[in-house]
Amino acid sequence: MVGHIIAFEGIDGSGKSSQAKLLRDWLEVKGVPVYLTEWNSSEWLHETIKEAKKKNLLTPLTYSLIHATDFADRYEKYILPMYEAGYVVISDRYIYTAYARDSVRGLSIDWVARLYSFAIKPDIVFFIRVTAEEALRRLKENRRKIKPNEAGADVFPDLKPEEGFLKYQGAVLSVYDKLAPTENFYVIDGQRDPKSIQIEIREKVSEILWKKES
Amino acid sequence: MEKGILIAVEGVEGSGRSSHLQGIKKYLEEEGYGVTTIGLQSSQLLGTTLGTVKRELVFQRITLFLAYATDLADQIEYTVKEALNSGFVVLADGYVYTLMAWGLTRGLDRNWINDVLSFAIKPDLAISLVASVSTISRRVIMKKGKIDPLASSIDLCINKDLYASFRIHVKTFQKYLLEISKTYGLKVVKTDRDYEEVHEEIIKYVREALK
Repeated sequence: MVGHIIAFEGIDGSGKSSQAKLLRDWLEVKGVPVYLTEWNSSEWLHETIKEAKKKNLLTPLTYSLIHATDFADRYEKYILPMYEAGYVVISDRYIYTAYARDSVRGLSIDWVARLYSFAIKPDIVFFIRVTAEEALRRLKENRRKIKPNEAGADVFPDLKPEEGFLKYQGAVLSVYDKLAPTENFYVIDGQRDPKSIQIEIREKVSEILWKKES
Repeated sequence: MEKGILIAVEGVEGSGRSSHLQGIKKYLEEEGYGVTTIGLQSSQLLGTTLGTVKRELVFQRITLFLAYATDLADQIEYTVKEALNSGFVVLADGYVYTLMAWGLTRGLDRNWINDVLSFAIKPDLAISLVASVSTISRRVIMKKGKIDPLASSIDLCINKDLYASFRIHVKTFQKYLLEISKTYGLKVVKTDRDYEEVHEEIIKYVREALK
């Protein structure tokens, strides 16, 4: 019996990570074997990527390839074996994050798609959609500083953090919007109350996990 | 300023890659050329990291392949482009064709490999170094004192003894490298001969490329 892959996509500050965690906790309580994996979290590459970004060492090409390596590491080590063992794998960001971020940096989205073609398609992709303006408003509300990578500092080095954030996240969002119909995203309006969003996600996931055997 | 040229020396470990690359380098420097060297697993970005972690990734072939590709891309973006623009000769101790053969030997999808590596600058000259399996085995043992199971072959054939497993690895790798050489027009040079003789043959190709 194979498992399921449930992906979450959205710009920074969309609330998708909290939604992914809530879903994980709920499935755990239900006794479902579940595993949550985050973007950019491979044990041995994480620090290298962080350092390289800090020192501005990455070009669009190496940015793309090093993130693909990170994803492949988690894919071969955790995602695929767990999926094959029947786990529900929740992926906070999946290959579409790379499609969006790499193409915003000028790479061909077709090339990026081929780069990630080894990865199986998720059962469902929850696209938590908020605008860049809304995401920024939330950051400010929580009095959190904008991180350089959230402001796309490598893409827009001359912009102030806030402007960079709006421009970069806006560009990423427009790629997501283009992908949504072709990649069959399940689009959720992220402006809504988080609780009602989680209820909708759980209903959808229940349908996938416990649909009546025909 | 005239643009430099890129020469790739391809081959499995023990094929004579590094020693013949040194030979080319010495020749070019004596001829007055500026020479820059790159090689697999030597990037600033990932070289050291790859050296320390690759033993843990032996069975993650896609990851390892992408890590090598990232490592190569970093060297192309920084070292190769700049050197070529300055009119230098760039010598690559292992380049895309070695990576291709590595991936094919491990059963990765051919189209995927080609897609991923399509970012690389095409070399002006690529030389495939091949030798008999026995020669290669002896060279590897001489250099390292043993056949390193993790570095070379264990992921391909863990049930047989070390030497048999290594033989299969080298044979398969070279079969693919020869196939690639045919497809992409690499110059194949057999290295299980007198060093000077091999060197002369390589230099002949290098001179043609420099014309």
